[in-house]
Amino acid sequence: MNILEVQHLKKYFATQKAVDDISMSIEQGSIFGLLGPNGAGKTTLIRMITGIFYPDSGNILLKGKKFEPENDAKYIGYMPEERGLYKKMKIGEQALYLAQLKGLRKNDAMHKIKDWFQRLEMESWWNKKVEDLSKGMGQKLQFVITVLHEPDLIILDEPFSGLDPVNANLIKDEIYRLAQKGTTIIFSTHRMEQVEEICNHIVLVNKGQKILDGTVHNIKQEFKENLFGLQLETMPENTGSPSFDIVSKNKQDLIVKINEGYKPNDVLGYFINQGTNIISFKENLPSLNDIFIKLVEGTPTARQFEKITG
Amino acid sequence: MNKILLIIQREFLTRVRKKTFIIGTILFPVLYLALIFGSGYIADKTREDLKIALIDRSGLFTKDQIEQVNGKDTANTIQLISSNTERVIAGYDSLGFDGYLVIPGNFNWQTGADSLIVNTKKSYGMGALNPIEKKINALWNKIKHDSLGIDINKEVLLNKSISLKLHNEQNRNADAVAASTIGYVCGFLMYLILLLYGSQVMMGVTEEKTSRIAEVVVSSVKPFQLMIGKIVGIGMVALTQFLIWIACIFLIYNVGKASGNNSETSFAIVAQIQHVFTSVDIYLTVGCFIFYMLGGFFFYSSLYAAIGSAINEDMREAQSLSFPITMLVIFSIFLMAPTIANPGSPVAVWASIIPFSSPIVMMARIPFGVPNTVPWWQLGLSMVLLIAGFMLTTWFAARIYRTGILMYGKKPSWKEMLKWAFRK
Repeated sequence: MNILEVQHLKKYFATQKAVDDISMSIEQGSIFGLLGPNGAGKTTLIRMITGIFYPDSGNILLKGKKFEPENDAKYIGYMPEERGLYKKMKIGEQALYLAQLKGLRKNDAMHKIKDWFQRLEMESWWNKKVEDLSKGMGQKLQFVITVLHEPDLIILDEPFSGLDPVNANLIKDEIYRLAQKGTTIIFSTHRMEQVEEICNHIVLVNKGQKILDGTVHNIKQEFKENLFGLQLETMPENTGSPSFDIVSKNKQDLIVKINEGYKPNDVLGYFINQGTNIISFKENLPSLNDIFIKLVEGTPTARQFEKITG
Repeated sequence: MNKILLIIQREFLTRVRKKTFIIGTILFPVLYLALIFGSGYIADKTREDLKIALIDRSGLFTKDQIEQVNGKDTANTIQLISSNTERVIAGYDSLGFDGYLVIPGNFNWQTGADSLIVNTKKSYGMGALNPIEKKINALWNKIKHDSLGIDINKEVLLNKSISLKLHNEQNRNADAVAASTIGYVCGFLMYLILLLYGSQVMMGVTEEKTSRIAEVVVSSVKPFQLMIGKIVGIGMVALTQFLIWIACIFLIYNVGKASGNNSETSFAIVAQIQHVFTSVDIYLTVGCFIFYMLGGFFFYSSLYAAIGSAINEDMREAQSLSFPITMLVIFSIFLMAPTIANPGSPVAVWASIIPFSSPIVMMARIPFGVPNTVPWWQLGLSMVLLIAGFMLTTWFAARIYRTGILMYGKKPSWKEMLKWAFRK
């Protein structure tokens, strides 16, 4: 079942087509990656999904029904890229206040806050103020506040920026734990290595348009270049064969590109016939980073201002 | 609805629990009184006293008479000297004169002179010469009386005059002086409350925007709810502060009345306060003050909220954008003085009905009496228009606000803000 469906969403600003006809659907319980370079329209898209902006046209369906920001706010947890908390307010009170704004009753909220604070070892923070926290601590608090009301859909905009590896792992584990319980997570970032590790499904947007949509596995298959890495005990004198071209070569390692009409077995067969001992043989799939750069390359790094008519 | 209550509660509690609220509540009346009485005291203290040399070429002025008039006001003095002008000019410092006045030789007790010139060694303000002018005229009067043969008894009789006092038929307790005083205090207090709490709303909105909490909150509530919650919450703080002051005044008054029988002076003060309280409909005045305070606050603070949402961290932006709004408040306070002088004049009537100036101007008129000076229809119309006015400004502000709080970067122009307001 799809928890969220976005159909032909458009949002134009005075000088930019921030989101220009984007459609996508997100399966319940998946960890979904929303990728794109800076200024691609990710934040605007998210702001429409969270009900902060009204779309110019298009539909948003949450749990199969038309999304109504006022009533559906409790189903969504949103952590914006720019973290925001009241600096002078005590942390405990702040968490309680924001949870109540999401529609939680005071007692429930209190219970849940205590639970989370205990698990993430934040109990001593209760009477501290946000201005006393380090950047990483603030990040952690923001995450807890985002997920506190147990939303069905959690939207995290660059959740790991500013976190050290220990805390990043802590948050990552919590994300997995929530996903296992059936929570859907949208992950907006331009850090590809994290996406590759965490997400099942990704969408790549650029200049307000969707340019890629699929599972990480399928996308990699789609963009693979038939590159294989070989490790050999001894490098043979002669390595010419119609079945492959050599891309790079050093002492023991070899990267080859298998030509059209040939199979990996043909390559292996060639080296076996040569009497070389093969240590390892592995397909080199492109990283999402490579695909990202390949697709986005050529478009200007910063979006240009344009005149929007109509 | 529930969420607005939560926001109001937070805005109210975080402010009331701060130490600055308690200090402000105590210090404000002290500073306010210091401002009112202090300015009078300072004006008194900074007055310049003159010592003028009188060179009498007519021979009509005598030392005895001059000493007599000097005795009535020792701050400004005239001294008859026989030397010429050059010696006075040369001896300004050694003789201690600030200037000199020459009575010409052709000065006649019957014709006198239209004007005489006082030569001074430096410039003085317009009022500085008044005491000296009075003395010279008193001296001339004496000369005239002596020449006409009017003795001291006849003089007293001639100087007797009749003073007229206002007596309001419908309101027997009315007292124009008390009404003016209360009108002045109310209008000025309203002015300070509108500016102080209005800028609090503006800064609160800007803080939410720059700390980026706004984006977190508006994913839970509508921007309008956040704005209204903040305005109402801060309005409640203003109301609380005002009610504390009113409670204190009544407490001091009653305690003073109870203990007033013992001492003469405090009894006199209490009697005076009692006179003011009975000459003005105090319950109506306080009630109207609360209405106009809240109405005016909603009117202006929603505009301030819109400005607050448009600016970024730079306080200079806040100043330049809020300037037109602040000018409206300042313009209203300028209308207060003519209103108190003539509470029934057309300017006073219309300024107390038009929403932007009505909170200050109407509060300056109400102490003069309802329905005498301010007919019921004027009060009613003014209130209805103020409610309509703040509904309009709130609607308008909300449309700027919802765009502004999520808009970062350069300061928007007024044109851009208007575009935000009238976009669908």
